[in-house]
Amino acid sequence: MTRLGGALAHGLTLTLALMSGACVRPEEGPPPGVLVVSVEKQSAWVRNFNPLMPGGGARWPTAGGVYEPLLVFNSVRGEYVPWLATRYDWLPGAEGVVFTLRAGVRWSDGAPLTADDVAFTFELLKRSPALDAGGVWRYLERVDVERGPEGERVVMRLKTPHVPALHGMAHTPIVPRHVFEAVADPVTFTNPDPVGSGPFTQVRVFRNQVFELGRNPHYWGGPPAVEALRMPAYPTNDAASLALIFGEVDWAGDFVPAVERTFVARDPEHFGVWAPPVGSLVFLYPNTTRAPFDDVRIRRAISLAIDRARVVEVGMYGYTTPANAVAFSERYARWQDKSLDGSPEDAVRFDPEAAERLLDEAGWPRGPDGLRRGPDGTPLSAPIDVVSGWSDWVRSGQVIARNLRAVGVDTQLRTLDFSAWFERVQKGEFDLAIGWSDEGATPYDFYCGLFNPETVKLVGALAPTNWHRFGDAESAPLFDAFKRATEPAEQRRLVDALQRRFVHALPAIPLFPNPSWGTYSTRRFTGFPTADDPYARLSPFAQPEALLVMTRLRPVDAPAGEVAP
Amino acid sequence: MIAYALRRLGFYLLAAWVAVSLNFAIPRLMPGDPAAVIFGRFQGRLAPEALDALKAAFGLTDAPLLSQYVTYLRHLLSGDLGLSVAYFPSPVAEVIGTGLGWTVLLAGLSVCVSFTLGTLLGVYVAWRRGGWLDTALPPLLAFLGSFPYFWLAMAALWLFGFTLGWFPVRHAYGADLEPALTLAFIADVLRHGALPAATIVLVTLGGWLSAMRTSMVTVLGSEAILYARARGLAPRTVMLRYAARNALLPSVTSFGMAVGFVLGGSLLTEIVFAYPGQGYLLLQAVRNQDYPLMQGLFLAITLAVLAANWVVDLVAMALDPRVRS
Repeated sequence: MTRLGGALAHGLTLTLALMSGACVRPEEGPPPGVLVVSVEKQSAWVRNFNPLMPGGGARWPTAGGVYEPLLVFNSVRGEYVPWLATRYDWLPGAEGVVFTLRAGVRWSDGAPLTADDVAFTFELLKRSPALDAGGVWRYLERVDVERGPEGERVVMRLKTPHVPALHGMAHTPIVPRHVFEAVADPVTFTNPDPVGSGPFTQVRVFRNQVFELGRNPHYWGGPPAVEALRMPAYPTNDAASLALIFGEVDWAGDFVPAVERTFVARDPEHFGVWAPPVGSLVFLYPNTTRAPFDDVRIRRAISLAIDRARVVEVGMYGYTTPANAVAFSERYARWQDKSLDGSPEDAVRFDPEAAERLLDEAGWPRGPDGLRRGPDGTPLSAPIDVVSGWSDWVRSGQVIARNLRAVGVDTQLRTLDFSAWFERVQKGEFDLAIGWSDEGATPYDFYCGLFNPETVKLVGALAPTNWHRFGDAESAPLFDAFKRATEPAEQRRLVDALQRRFVHALPAIPLFPNPSWGTYSTRRFTGFPTADDPYARLSPFAQPEALLVMTRLRPVDAPAGEVAP
Repeated sequence: MIAYALRRLGFYLLAAWVAVSLNFAIPRLMPGDPAAVIFGRFQGRLAPEALDALKAAFGLTDAPLLSQYVTYLRHLLSGDLGLSVAYFPSPVAEVIGTGLGWTVLLAGLSVCVSFTLGTLLGVYVAWRRGGWLDTALPPLLAFLGSFPYFWLAMAALWLFGFTLGWFPVRHAYGADLEPALTLAFIADVLRHGALPAATIVLVTLGGWLSAMRTSMVTVLGSEAILYARARGLAPRTVMLRYAARNALLPSVTSFGMAVGFVLGGSLLTEIVFAYPGQGYLLLQAVRNQDYPLMQGLFLAITLAVLAANWVVDLVAMALDPRVRS
């Protein structure tokens, strides 16, 4: 909606409503207690509640709502919240981890949830590697059940110590053995009538345009205050925005352009948006197998030449913040060494003069045409590859290209179809490319794909991560030590050292963290996380973190009256 | 006559085979693979190890294309369209089934309304050639017809749905209504379908009108019509029974073609109105390189167009004795 269109629409609606005195919206709202959520974008719902296929088409919130994991990672606080497990303890030497199960948890059919269910779930992943998308069996040796005076425990033994493997184990949705045992092929099972342990398990309505999940009669946390979740099918962001503006949606994760004016301003008392920058960090990747990007001075110069404040303003409409020196999004805020911001090696500040000096020093002085040329006279020329249609990155790339041309680097934006772009970056066949980075519970997972030598693949081989193919030999022992570090103080020491290595070697050029989008309306429900009460991410996309939100929401006391939009 | 119908059927079977083969070949010319696309959609939220697991799950093989083609044909003949990648692990037939009925309803109804209305208007304006309706209507409809479907759909959505609130802005029926053959439900479906159908009718009306008008004008100039008038037959009889019937043939032939175009165009209209049809599915299939779903959708569309053309052939035969000989 353009500025003019929005204003016109608003004006006309008001005028007409006043003129006719009639209700402009003839549609009736949902019954009280039914929370309307907009997450997945679909034109029609396909019935699938199989939680074990993360790349598959299971309906939201199958993996964190119908089913539940052992622990829930809270990315705003940067810590694990006990869920089906009440605690976890590392075995000595990080040889394995022991999860103590919550007592008294029952499946939605009334059967008790036991350690056998947990062990069975992991055995299932072992039997069907296609289900093991998190790759937990790369590290797991075996899963044992222990029953003692302090309750049921599941012991996961690792092949070699690997502390970051906790994330995959903690977030695997636990399925009931008595149901999945009878399933011939769990990979192609669509699980139309789920039996789960989560707060919302009962499929009350399932039609092509809408489905509803009622609450689990046996939920361990007590009956949720929300009676049911209703998911209407919106095929596009525009369709969802329209519903949002009319207050027909209570909770959404959709991006809304000019959100303050088009959405919040329509009912500032009830409508809100919160987009904390806790998502994946966006990088400008230099291919370090190609000269001159193997030279840290060139990478640093490119980084210093970029006006990140402008990139964020133009590319991201100001909905995020420029990257910090160690490239941590807010999810790693508690790990961040803030002293590195503004240090001599800080490469995220905007300093084109320093960039020019570095380029001169590195042996790429400006030629007579203003372009920088190497010792053999070839100009410093590299296109920036972005995905066509990912408009935020395209706009960001345009700003960056202009910044780089200003310091004499001959560069243009090259937009590629997603598949073509993805193949290039994975194979390492690019010069500069804008791309995402890994998310995980600790900075280890994030840094691993940026400069751990273990993740470096040959050019031409498909690399799921470390597309720029940079391995920092000095960091290798730090990464290795982190795999065995179970003590917070030791983890902290290693992450501190890794941050210094990152800033020193600058394997890739950080741009900005992705915001995690969430919007809410408190007309009918309250208890949403906000900047003032940041108990979890607002975005319902964040699974299983959304469990923290959906179990905390409650209907406002007064029955939802019809409020004119 | 039976022989003619069967001969045409044979021709359509051949056309169907060609379409089915193209259907197999074209998606495979696209770069990349479905697992990579799905992985990319998660933008780092999925562990890198998942890529291999996904490929295994989708059954992506490096088998030679020929053997893939044979498998494809064999499965097709047994009615097995495979499992969708974008909606894994749901079968393609189930995914298409969520909206095929609604697309057929929306596109079928609008193309029939548009054809009937446009043809009748064409007959009338040709009969009253030079009248005010004849001067105003064809250029106006040609103007409207030059808009892309989705543009007109968005304009209608904004004006009648968003601003005036006369019609629902999305879906094929209300969220609180159980689909059933009740009067209330049918009324609701009609209310929801009115705007999308109206935009398709508005865009396509001009084509039918001008085609019919042109062919009417030719027929009206013929000696047979002059003779009919000279015999003193009622003008209405001359207009409909003698002129219109003969002038209808070219329009009937293009009706078969139009089914394909309208199906293609209604896909965009559906997306604008969040109509639960095939339009968004096709978009999803292309975005996710979901070969099985693409093949299923194209197959459904191709078969619909071929079937419509075959029916049109039969109708043309009934209308025109010359075709039969």
